[in-house]
Amino acid sequence: MSALKNFNLRDKGAEIWAGWNRLTRTVFVSVFVLLIALLPFAPNWGPTSFLNTPITSFQNVLVYPMGMFVLMALGLNIVVGKSGLLDLGYIAFFAIGAYSQAILSTLFGWNTWEILPVGILLAMASGVLLGLPALRLRGDYLAIITLGFGEIVRIVALNITVTGGPNGIAGIPNPPTLFGFQFNLMYPEHFFWLVLVMIMLVIWMVRRFTVRRPGRAWEAIRQDEDVAALMGVNTLVYKLWSFVIGAAVGGFAGVIYASKVMVISPDMFKFDVSILVLACVVFGGIGNIWGVALGATLLAYLPERIRFISDARQVIFGLVLILMMNLRPDGLLPRKKREKIQEKRTM
Amino acid sequence: MSEKLLELKNTTIKFGGVTALNEVNFHVNRGEICALIGPNGAGKTTVFNIVTGVYPVTSGDILFKGQSISGKKRHHITKMGLARTFQNVRLFGEMTALENVITATDVHKKTGLLRALIGTPLNRREERESKARAHELLEFMGIDHRADQLAKNLPYGDQRRLEIARALGTEPELVLLDEPAAGFNPAEKVALAETIKKIRDKGYTVLLIEHDMSLIMGISDRVAVLDFGQKIADDVPTVVQNDPRVIEAYLGVPADAS
Repeated sequence: MSALKNFNLRDKGAEIWAGWNRLTRTVFVSVFVLLIALLPFAPNWGPTSFLNTPITSFQNVLVYPMGMFVLMALGLNIVVGKSGLLDLGYIAFFAIGAYSQAILSTLFGWNTWEILPVGILLAMASGVLLGLPALRLRGDYLAIITLGFGEIVRIVALNITVTGGPNGIAGIPNPPTLFGFQFNLMYPEHFFWLVLVMIMLVIWMVRRFTVRRPGRAWEAIRQDEDVAALMGVNTLVYKLWSFVIGAAVGGFAGVIYASKVMVISPDMFKFDVSILVLACVVFGGIGNIWGVALGATLLAYLPERIRFISDARQVIFGLVLILMMNLRPDGLLPRKKREKIQEKRTM
Repeated sequence: MSEKLLELKNTTIKFGGVTALNEVNFHVNRGEICALIGPNGAGKTTVFNIVTGVYPVTSGDILFKGQSISGKKRHHITKMGLARTFQNVRLFGEMTALENVITATDVHKKTGLLRALIGTPLNRREERESKARAHELLEFMGIDHRADQLAKNLPYGDQRRLEIARALGTEPELVLLDEPAAGFNPAEKVALAETIKKIRDKGYTVLLIEHDMSLIMGISDRVAVLDFGQKIADDVPTVVQNDPRVIEAYLGVPADAS
């Protein structure tokens, strides 16, 4: 039991990774990405057919919830994991991205690629709007404000006409063909590959930040905000940035999500989705992108895989969560505990 | 007369009904080691806290390099050249010793978030330089062999040394050391005294709070004494040592004298 609690796969992995040269690393990453990219075909091949989800189509499950949850969990991890700000209304940014896509495409005829930067910017702007007053507070108070914000966005969408009220918006167009890849109902695997590219982009970005000044500033703020300020970290600005970047990732995911499902309504952006994304982050290993990605993958996949037991699946899901958090309270792949490892890597 | 680097002018701070500092006038000259002593609760750490912007002053003013710094943001004051350590060690425990110092060196960097993402040449050069500088400071404090260990796993003494290295990482002109020798054995105290002198000789100005009298009397150029929020003495160590008011504050008044 205690062996299971203490075993740190992340350290083991980092150790092995540090021992590799550039070529080995490139090959490993390429093979890994290729294997994931082949996932949509897994149900058709004997040895991996057990992965198939009953009732819902596996290819669609790969995009939503799995891909989208990984994206959102990675985005939320910047806020909660990196800089330690508890955000309980993260789904609001996803909703803002989704409604940007829905409104701009149905009313103004823009296509998804044109809306993408606008949707991201709108999510970021709402991040600033929320962050500027809210980030002066800490801990529980910040959590309550973000929770309120998440609900405000949903209730506004429920009550104004441009969002279609409780009916939402239907008839959202799919994204136009890009590099010869068509995006429509016939090709859910194309959406999956698009999401995969998005996930890789976000991971690249977070890794960049982590080893440089922003990552150190966030880490310092997370560990001791007062000392961080006294050591010269502009805490408000860096907290705001982490909020805004997290929002950008959420908006990014939202735009693509809306263009995939073609219909959105306010009840898709309820409070419990925020909590589920937060659960993904905590379950996987708060602060560690690989853990968070793994956690989101599993938590999004599991309920779909056991859908055939209908109502009991939520109970099973809850039991698995409780069991896991007891066995590994720091998550599947906990935050780095490395000593020495980093030195080898940078040399 | 030497330049006044830091100056407190009639500084008063009240917490509710408690006056922690009362009309204190005090200054630190550039290039000296100045000590701030006094019995527990005299307001020494409060001086550090108002100088670094943790608490706002109730009245009076604080000048650093001739500029008023009261009401300025904490990170702004640090950037102006004022850094401190803490009475109870407050390191970033989950970071390595090296990262702790690099975080402090970040204050003078020009590149922020966006240029870190793109990885501009300037950003890469700054990252390299601050790493080299951090190693240099750890070397100076004699703990470079601990560079890659997590701060929380360091022995206590090395944690205190790391705090000083981190404070120096912000390239300050004035370093505030809050009881740097607390918990040190006599040999370590002697070594620390040498280090503080070396810090001064490198061009930094030092203001330190300390309880160990032999340490203070050995290295300080000037000693100020606080008692119940009032400054009761401010002179060279030998004079302060024999000041009756100081002796009274520390030892109390003999029963037959009153």
